[in-house]
Amino acid sequence: MLTTLATLATFALAQQTDTTVPVRTGARLEVSNFGGEIAVKTWSRNAVRVVADHSSRDRILVDALDQVVRVKAEGGRRGPSQVDYVITVPAWMALSLSGVYTDIKVDGAQNEVRAETVQGEVSVVGGSGNVSLKSVQGSVTLEKARGRIDLNTVNEEIRATDISGDIAVETVNGDITLTQIESANTEANTVNGDVSYDGTIKDGGRYRFTTHDGDLRVSVPEKASVTVTVSTFDGDFSACFPVQLSRKSKHRFDLTIGAGSARVELESFNGDIHLCRPGQVMKPEGDHNHEH
Amino acid sequence: MKDQWTDRLSEYLDGELAGSERTALEAHLASCGNCRATLEELRRVVGRARALDDRLPTADLWPGIAEHIGVVSLAARRARRRLSFTVPQLAAASVALALVSGGAVWLLGGRTHAPTATAVTELGRRPAPLINASAYPTDPRYAAQVAALERALQRGRSQLDTATVRIIEKNLKIIDRAIRDAQSALVADPGSAYLNLHLAQEMRRKLELLREAANLAGARS
Repeated sequence: MLTTLATLATFALAQQTDTTVPVRTGARLEVSNFGGEIAVKTWSRNAVRVVADHSSRDRILVDALDQVVRVKAEGGRRGPSQVDYVITVPAWMALSLSGVYTDIKVDGAQNEVRAETVQGEVSVVGGSGNVSLKSVQGSVTLEKARGRIDLNTVNEEIRATDISGDIAVETVNGDITLTQIESANTEANTVNGDVSYDGTIKDGGRYRFTTHDGDLRVSVPEKASVTVTVSTFDGDFSACFPVQLSRKSKHRFDLTIGAGSARVELESFNGDIHLCRPGQVMKPEGDHNHEH
Repeated sequence: MKDQWTDRLSEYLDGELAGSERTALEAHLASCGNCRATLEELRRVVGRARALDDRLPTADLWPGIAEHIGVVSLAARRARRRLSFTVPQLAAASVALALVSGGAVWLLGGRTHAPTATAVTELGRRPAPLINASAYPTDPRYAAQVAALERALQRGRSQLDTATVRIIEKNLKIIDRAIRDAQSALVADPGSAYLNLHLAQEMRRKLELLREAANLAGARS
């Protein structure tokens, strides 16, 4: 009986808001949410459609101004609430999405994307210019983006695939996996996790991959011109092609490939460092050595 | 490992080397990975110092930092023509900058009281003859900054979800372990550029996570 009443009450409180507003070229979208989900997809119309599933006690505010469309929920005296948004925007629209207990998903963005949450996953396909994705307790995933990429979490993994531009990636307790990367400037670091990089090593480029407790696996194309500095306190180094090592100090050595114009720094305090060819660096799915 | 050019890298970065010296140093850089790595680190430190200017326009922090880490002013440097600069000092500089920027961002982010810049500047001006990043975890400045952020986090703790608090504490422990590992390793090899910079990086990371957590707690209070 109690279950039935609870179900009826929940049913009675559920409500959906569906609003579409026109937007001018260049306007950006700002969404803030407390709990739930923000899912953004794109279309070719110059309009923003907001579909929100929420409690009937909440009101969804869509404030469409010249340069910005702001979306948020107003819960009155009860404070913040849980809302699941599905928002459809023009692909050119810049996005600024934030939440607390919120998952954030974006598909098809062609402009700047900023997404921040505390407890929740961030998953974005697309984006250009400044793309900044951040969570505290949740994985961060980015695909098919270009520009200045900044990916950050604390307690989960970060994955980036098919990315071009300047890349900065950081977590504390999680793996970092970068694949199909086209970059002359990439930095990725974690404390407790592995770092894998499969991408270009451009002439004159700068790359830095560091971990404390974890392995590094980095690809170096056959015709790369690169100087690699390897530093480890208690790990091993290996390469799946012949290299000539030059020891610089007790914990650091160099190797040069070609003219050595790019610079790659690899640092793992306790883990192993492995160089391979593109396509050979990714470890098999499910092969996780670290408990996160 | 240190060679004759290590002490000239700062002058090189500042464009103060004569043409022939610059050419010779650039030739040396082509073959010396350690000097290139050190130069990269120096660029990062300088970049962080420059970034501070935008955040604290009311206070010139650099003199305090420079005094703290033993770097003299540009005028004095020009007079002296040589900057004595070691990798451990560089690592210490990077922590000092994180100390100041972390504190500044935290204080400016959540609180707008006027003493912000003063407090940070005073911290920066306190003389402390550090010669190695490994001294930082026990340095009063670092400890005070960490303690202040921990207190702020404690004050706002009730505003955070218990799961979030657990995650932050778990990750702080992970970073602390990395700091202890690096310190232990440095006991045996105090001159190691890698270990000094690794320790500096982890200490910086701890400040940044504490700052972020304090901001998170402050934002909800």
